[in-house]
Amino acid sequence: MAIKNILVPTNGGGADGEIIKLACSLARRSKAKVYAVYIIEVERSLSLDTQVDSETEKAEKILTQAEDTAAEADYDVETDLLQARDAGPAIVNEAVERGVDLIIMATTYKKPHGVPDLGKAVYYVLKEAPCRVLLYRDSVS
Amino acid sequence: METNWRPKLGDKFIRRPRAKTHPLKRVLGAFGLFSAGYGNVGSSIYYALGLVALIALGATPVVLFIAGIFFIFTALSYAEGTAMIPEAGGSASFARRGFNDLFGSITGWALVFSYIVTIAISAYTAPAYLGYFWQPLTAPVAGTIAAMGIIFFLMCLNIIGVKQSSIFNTAFAILDVLTQILIILLAILFIFAPHPQIFSQNVIGNWPSAHNLILGIAIATLAYTGVETVSQLSEEARHPAITAPRALILMIAVVMILFTGISVAAFSTMTPTEMALEWARDPIAGIAYGLSVAIVPEEVAAGLSSSPAGIIVITAIFAGILKILPALVAILATTILIIATNAGLMGISRLTFSLGRFQLIPLAFSRVHHKFKTPYRAIIFFSLVALLLLIPGFFAPDTFIILGGLYVFGSLLAFSLAHASILRLRIRHPELSRPFKLRGNIKFKGCELPVTAILGLVFSSAIWLTVVMTQPYTRWVGFGWMLFGLIFYLTFRHRKRLPLIQAAREIKLPVD
Repeated sequence: MAIKNILVPTNGGGADGEIIKLACSLARRSKAKVYAVYIIEVERSLSLDTQVDSETEKAEKILTQAEDTAAEADYDVETDLLQARDAGPAIVNEAVERGVDLIIMATTYKKPHGVPDLGKAVYYVLKEAPCRVLLYRDSVS
Repeated sequence: METNWRPKLGDKFIRRPRAKTHPLKRVLGAFGLFSAGYGNVGSSIYYALGLVALIALGATPVVLFIAGIFFIFTALSYAEGTAMIPEAGGSASFARRGFNDLFGSITGWALVFSYIVTIAISAYTAPAYLGYFWQPLTAPVAGTIAAMGIIFFLMCLNIIGVKQSSIFNTAFAILDVLTQILIILLAILFIFAPHPQIFSQNVIGNWPSAHNLILGIAIATLAYTGVETVSQLSEEARHPAITAPRALILMIAVVMILFTGISVAAFSTMTPTEMALEWARDPIAGIAYGLSVAIVPEEVAAGLSSSPAGIIVITAIFAGILKILPALVAILATTILIIATNAGLMGISRLTFSLGRFQLIPLAFSRVHHKFKTPYRAIIFFSLVALLLLIPGFFAPDTFIILGGLYVFGSLLAFSLAHASILRLRIRHPELSRPFKLRGNIKFKGCELPVTAILGLVFSSAIWLTVVMTQPYTRWVGFGWMLFGLIFYLTFRHRKRLPLIQAAREIKLPVD
């Protein structure tokens, strides 16, 4: 499959580095562009453009880490910081706007109430994203 | 990709501008770092040799060698520091982490000064080499105007933010090394080897006074301008912990070999007095001219071949090389010196950006232009200071020595603080990861202190004190600059209600 643009939503989890490396190695074959994005979810009680310093600082660290990981893999990544009410629609919107062919997302397998839960954003992306989606679950250890 | 997906009514998204704490792409490998560093260090031989010869006369090769050993100590300290703290601030970053923000500011300001003088001295020397093509450029007034023109032109380019190609730098570094090797080989094979007494007479017969010898060692440190460059570029390097030390060690080896060879070539082709009086600003042009006069192609050909056809061919080859050499040196030296001037401006941009990030200099200097994305205020201000430093060029015949002294003041102060910071970091933060750790340590109160850093600190401080005590102009201008920087720093910190000594937080830089 020919890939031109890959979107990697980051969340600060332990698998971020791995999915960035994976995206870079997949992108290298077809010289595709890699976009890493972090979405700050703003509570509905606040205006959407409210800048929450602690969240912004955290997002900057995560995206800088993503840039460093890509640099170590000898590849360029373009990073973006978004604010939205929910991460899912923001990821899909970003994928549509950028004409992304592949979204690589990290997830964890949890069963909070005895029911497997991959997270709201993952379900939304799986349901709505028009492109391919690759889910990555880190090793349990 | 066709899609029917549309955001729902409540789905709104905002794209936030990123602070870009790492705005520089990591693209340079060890050779890329070496090329950029060598571009700076290698360019200094085009003026330092003449300047050192003005003072140290026949002892020039000796003082260059002694300064070279000091350069090894300095490069090793930078290798440990850069691998440990890969930030664009170089020794200012070491001092900030090792001591405090006040020391970081002092070191940064001293570095800024050495960059400004590098800009002035490189631009001042370039027209002298161009004089091969147009003689009036060697005159003081025309030469100074041309030097000012070079700085003004590069200032405009740097404000607009024209990218300097890494390939261009590397190509010129390789061409420069090859030309210098050619000069050294011609001088050693055809002048030094058959007539070694010329070199020894020039050295021993023109030995300077003890005072000039010490001052010569101080000024010879000028030849090693640019060791800071590798540190500054570490934020743009891939795996800086590995590539930066490799680049620095490669630079030590290449620079020491070339500088020793060039100084042997210099005094094999001319006397120290000739160099000091006629070729002070363009010593390599002097060597090229000396070679073209001293080597007789027919004699060389007769020595290398006995067949008439061979003699004709070899004569033609040598005649061609010796005819091209002076012009090649003139073009190459001018280009390298202009690149060095530009590197100084780029170095100041990076340094002020880094110092501004950690609130070590007033933010006014670090403001980035909204359109060009360059720290235009810093570029304009520091270029104007470099232009001011060139004004004595119109009437003072010793402008060259003045500029050399000023450079030594700034760089040796920064080097001394870099060595001190490496030692301090060993005591204060022994736990920091040191991908390149200096060997040859002595134990002091449970800490391992590198001998090379101790020797480097003693050597650089002693030479800096010598320059301060013996050069009144350098003393007053240098201390005036440092006082100006200190007042600026203290006023800025006081107004912003930031601690004067302790660390302030890293910030996003303002955009105009």
